[in-house]
Amino acid sequence: MIVTTVVGSYPRPDWFREYLRKVAGLQKDLDVEIDIDVLRRAISEVIDEQKRAGIDIPTDGQLIWHDFLLTIASRLEGFEMNGLVRYFDNNLYYRIPIVKGKIRRVKRILHDFEVAFEIESKIKAVISFYTLTKLSRNEFYGSYEDMLWDLCDAIREEIRYLESIGVKYIQIDEPSILYAEKRELEFLRDLFKELTDVKSETILMTYFDSAERIFPEVLDFGFDTIGLDFVEGYEENLKIVEEFSFEGINVGIFDGRNTKMEDLNEIRERLERIISIGNFKRIYVSPNTGLEFLPRIKAYEKMRLVSSLKEVFE
Amino acid sequence: MKTTVVGSYPKPKWLLRIVKMYKDGEVDEEFLEEAYRDSVKSVVKDHEIAGVDIIWDGEMRREEMTSYFAERIEGFEIYGEVRVWGNAYYPKPSIVGELRYRDELALKDFLYLKGITDREIKVPITGAYTIVDWSFNEYYKTKEDAVYSLAEVLNREFRELVKVGAKYIQIDEPAIPTHPDEIEIAKNAVEIMVKGVNAYVGIHMCYGNYRAIFPDVLDFKVDQIDFEFANRKFEDLKILKEYDYDKDLGFGCIDVHSRRIESVDEVKNAIRMALEIVDPDRLYVDPDCGMKLLPRDVAFEKLKVMVKAVEELKEELDI
Ligand SMILES: [Zn+2]
Repeated sequence: MIVTTVVGSYPRPDWFREYLRKVAGLQKDLDVEIDIDVLRRAISEVIDEQKRAGIDIPTDGQLIWHDFLLTIASRLEGFEMNGLVRYFDNNLYYRIPIVKGKIRRVKRILHDFEVAFEIESKIKAVISFYTLTKLSRNEFYGSYEDMLWDLCDAIREEIRYLESIGVKYIQIDEPSILYAEKRELEFLRDLFKELTDVKSETILMTYFDSAERIFPEVLDFGFDTIGLDFVEGYEENLKIVEEFSFEGINVGIFDGRNTKMEDLNEIRERLERIISIGNFKRIYVSPNTGLEFLPRIKAYEKMRLVSSLKEVFE
Repeated sequence: MKTTVVGSYPKPKWLLRIVKMYKDGEVDEEFLEEAYRDSVKSVVKDHEIAGVDIIWDGEMRREEMTSYFAERIEGFEIYGEVRVWGNAYYPKPSIVGELRYRDELALKDFLYLKGITDREIKVPITGAYTIVDWSFNEYYKTKEDAVYSLAEVLNREFRELVKVGAKYIQIDEPAIPTHPDEIEIAKNAVEIMVKGVNAYVGIHMCYGNYRAIFPDVLDFKVDQIDFEFANRKFEDLKILKEYDYDKDLGFGCIDVHSRRIESVDEVKNAIRMALEIVDPDRLYVDPDCGMKLLPRDVAFEKLKVMVKAVEELKEELDI
């Protein structure tokens, strides 16, 4: 049984971009006051669009996220934002967060998700932890470990809160973990265990590269499902599936960063291969990355492709 | 030692209004065309009054530096915009077929400009590497193939430009320093772009890490490399020194990201530092990058300061 889903981000509706431009301008970034009704309208439009395309578990589209770090960092105490930095190998830039003080959760982080959750309860919350520390600059903590622990506490509070309101799926996006060193992974196990110790299903999402360097350590992080990028690392990730056993997989198999629509037969063969080698109880299929890298009409087409793949499988 | 510009200049407010009116169907194409031509005249006048030696038309028709060219080249399709940061978006083209020469890219603009000014003219066009890097590739097996194919298209445009009298071409490649690992592809692309082009060729690079492209960039087949320095507090000059920089130097010494107008003295001091690296006749003094994001009066003042600094220095050095 295949479940279709997406990674997280989705292109903003044009009118919502215009709205943000008016309330925030181009440069303003930190936690802009957004009219809740406007936000609700934008999110429900995007959720509708995902459902119409045949996505079983949509996200809120991360519509107010100016970049992948800002929403989390700016809602926590301890961060300040600095200049633009390139986001991995994308033609996309983020404001680098600088740690200037003790990291503390002083209010809810995913307040936009909560709006989405009221609209649709079968929806996935998306947050990040380790990657935020890797892409930030620490000017406060004497040791990196102390910073990680404080951030871990803050994110755990948020995850516990999500659990308490009944969120079924919580995804932690960690593209940076693919480059963590072996001994760091051992230390990270204790932290991630804190985050995954909830009743909700927890998903580790990796992308932009293959994941062979984090196995087998990541199997002890406590995640129910592990997301692998089969666009950037098909062969390597196939080997992982062959070598290690885990129950839940998110197969990122459509290229979320190219407008080209894949040949469904080729993708089906690949997916069959992955599934036949592994021994999975839960199989999610999605693009390899968030869809905001695409123009909106192509993002929709990609999702249609994901759901067509499910149809040919059934 | 000559003064020049990188390319874009703030558009007159009335032009922006007329472009919008045209998009809303309120004025016809003829009306818009006239506005474009008049705006070029006013920009050229700004440059002439400021005293810039080598000028361009301020890129009044270009709203952006990738899709403008993609729209005029066979094989591109533009499906919509994607985000580059925050709430800023650009129309990102997709390569959907073989890239082929279709329409002229800067030929008409050059000829028009030539007709209204006696100044020397530089023609800036976004380079093959950058256009491909900022596009989706649906068609070519590799990025490299796409870059070379587009380089052929641009080569034809450059040769056409030379035929009608262009003497100075600038290839804009801001994406190169953001992918130092692909410098070889970029270098080969430049070779294709300039093949048989009998003109003075410069390459403009901003963004990214300059150190990572040295010393490879010194092997590029161009006469001049134009870097931004002011925005980086002139610290990158030491990289050039380290590697015995031996091409003509486009010396970006006016910060286009700041509205503060530089003093003549600070620009003179900056130029003195550049003169430690190249001789005056191999130095082209210009702003860091296109000036389009500045208010027009600020851009104008900055150009005047830049020219004044060069004039005073020339006198002091008796050159
Ligand atoms: Zn530039």
